[in-house]
Amino acid sequence: MQRRQILKVGLGSVAMALTPLSWALPAREEVDWLFSAVDDPSGGHFIAGVALDGQTRFMIEVPERCHGGCLRPDSRQAVLFARRPGTRMYVIDGDSRQLAHTIAAGEGYHFYGHGVFDLSGRYLYVTANRLADSAGLVRVYDAANDYAHVRDMPLEGIGPHELRLMPEGDTLVIGLGGIQTHPDYGRVKLNLDTMAPALLLLDRHSGEILARHTPSHHQLSCRHLDVAADGTVVAGYQFEGPEWETHPLICRLDAAGRFSELALPDEVTASLHHYIASVAFSRVSANVLITAPRGNRVLLLDAEQGRLNANLALPDAAGARCDGNGGFLVSSGQGGLYRVTPGTSAPELLASLELRWDNHLT
Amino acid sequence: MIASLRRLGFLACALLATPLSFATDTPTSREMWHGAVELQYAELSAASERLEASAARFCQSPDEALRQRLENDWMSAYQAWQAVRFIQFGPVEQNSRGWQLQFWPDRKNLVGRKVGIWLKATDAPDVEDIASDSVAIQGFPALEYLLYDDAMDDQVLSEPAACDLMQAITTHLADTTSALHRDWQAFGEHYLETADYTETTLASAIQSLEILEDKRLGEPMGLKGAPANGYLAEAWRSGKTVRLVESSLEGLRTGFLPGLTTLLREADALPLAEAFRDQLDKTLAQASELSPGLVPALDDEAAFRGLQSLYLDISQLRHLLGNEIAGELGLVRGFNSSDGD
Repeated sequence: MQRRQILKVGLGSVAMALTPLSWALPAREEVDWLFSAVDDPSGGHFIAGVALDGQTRFMIEVPERCHGGCLRPDSRQAVLFARRPGTRMYVIDGDSRQLAHTIAAGEGYHFYGHGVFDLSGRYLYVTANRLADSAGLVRVYDAANDYAHVRDMPLEGIGPHELRLMPEGDTLVIGLGGIQTHPDYGRVKLNLDTMAPALLLLDRHSGEILARHTPSHHQLSCRHLDVAADGTVVAGYQFEGPEWETHPLICRLDAAGRFSELALPDEVTASLHHYIASVAFSRVSANVLITAPRGNRVLLLDAEQGRLNANLALPDAAGARCDGNGGFLVSSGQGGLYRVTPGTSAPELLASLELRWDNHLT
Repeated sequence: MIASLRRLGFLACALLATPLSFATDTPTSREMWHGAVELQYAELSAASERLEASAARFCQSPDEALRQRLENDWMSAYQAWQAVRFIQFGPVEQNSRGWQLQFWPDRKNLVGRKVGIWLKATDAPDVEDIASDSVAIQGFPALEYLLYDDAMDDQVLSEPAACDLMQAITTHLADTTSALHRDWQAFGEHYLETADYTETTLASAIQSLEILEDKRLGEPMGLKGAPANGYLAEAWRSGKTVRLVESSLEGLRTGFLPGLTTLLREADALPLAEAFRDQLDKTLAQASELSPGLVPALDDEAAFRGLQSLYLDISQLRHLLGNEIAGELGLVRGFNSSDGD
């Protein structure tokens, strides 16, 4: 996503046409794919590439429910990841609309559902669990070498989840959820009383942990995040403690590296039901959008000011991505694809599909 | 968990006009649910204490009568848990308590492996050891292993290794269920004043019927695309699978139906509540006619037909609640909101 700069802002087009976001398909009509893990109504698992009209799309069936994804810079590829405790990642070729590779996590490992490329598109960084000791890792793969596994970077913690590359290209920012799971136990959370979540900065070359910021409560699982062009990070929590308590659910690492949590009004925090799914920065301003599927809400925040700009109802709000024009695209677990534009009072329904979108849009 | 409650929106506004509470003559649906579930958690806690005492008595002076009593007390407490399993939110989520009480399904036989390790341990575990170990050793299935598994033919339950382990587990279970009951009481104020819990409670009951149909019966019976597999059934070691299902249905009758009826009466849809009650009673009658175990029925055509009837009855019950009643109330269940990551 980093490579998507704003190409046509300032053309003054108030028409609904979107700036091209991703690659064009030279051999066919130009299609801007949104990638997402989806389930069909009968519960089958797929990776979908969907054009913004919602009509043009392709679906690749996969054996397990997938979660997040990332685009490979300067290529036609996207990679989508099996959901915890899944063990595969899927490289999708946007030209052929086919599955190009399936890469296994390897015996004794599983993925957490997220990954990110370096700026050149060569190395892929994927969050993973080493089952023998529940060690959270970033596994590194070489896309130029058929996605061969290169090395592992331990994180001195449990349950790394979403990660992104900082704009300078050398540092990874990682949400360490802190939750221990094991495939033998399915999705049972095994360590809720001893969780140690964090927001981490990791040198992607040396593997050195450069910073470890700790949420204000040990059961605030730091899971999903995005980075602005200036290096500001916003991350969302999922609270695993008593649901009658209220804790901040959004934290920020500003461009100078200062960590803070955003104090929203209690009733707003409560309406999110302890659960943030996706975080997406606008590439145009300091606007950041946050989805809360359990609260059926999206929030628009000014990351600089720490101000809540909008609080909109959107059922089962799931995946989110900037639309390149200062607005956002948001998917709903109930099938809708919406555009959320700062300053408007309600999300605009772009398409309604017989699909259940998982929590992230790529 | 649920996106909208259209029809109740109007009602909720009306209720806001009057204090939402104890002053009104007729209790609200949430008041009824909270009260009924409190009784169910109280029974679970009391039954777990009886089980703990029973295990201590048996270990002190093991004989056949006390063993029989122990097995009965294990089953009573396990059934008390089934009755309130439709509540899948609130204090039962804390520290994965639901999993602590019943780790299932157990595809890797972790229960057997964990019990085996502790039986061979040089030092017998105390309750802290159990508390800090895996959910596979903490609940009713681990006790079931000690009481019923074939491997226990070679290991006498009354011997110290097994008895100490059993007592540590029953004490931990009594502690957990007592805390659960206490926390549910403390949770009451938040539950009653937060309107969203009406939807949450409904969604939780719907999900419990889905699990009942698909996981507790469908998968072990081989009705979900894979061959029948008795090891996927709950309580296969004791052969009590169907009795546990029956207890869950009874728990919906006592813990869930009254609040649902109130809710549907307010929504002017009382016939749906009556239809749900009738189907629930029919299903309960069918369950009570069946033998207690699921596994023997896999090789017995007549018994399997009985199970299939129960499965179909539960399927209709689920449809009634998850489609017709949810539809009437304007409930739409989420995808990520019920199972995100």
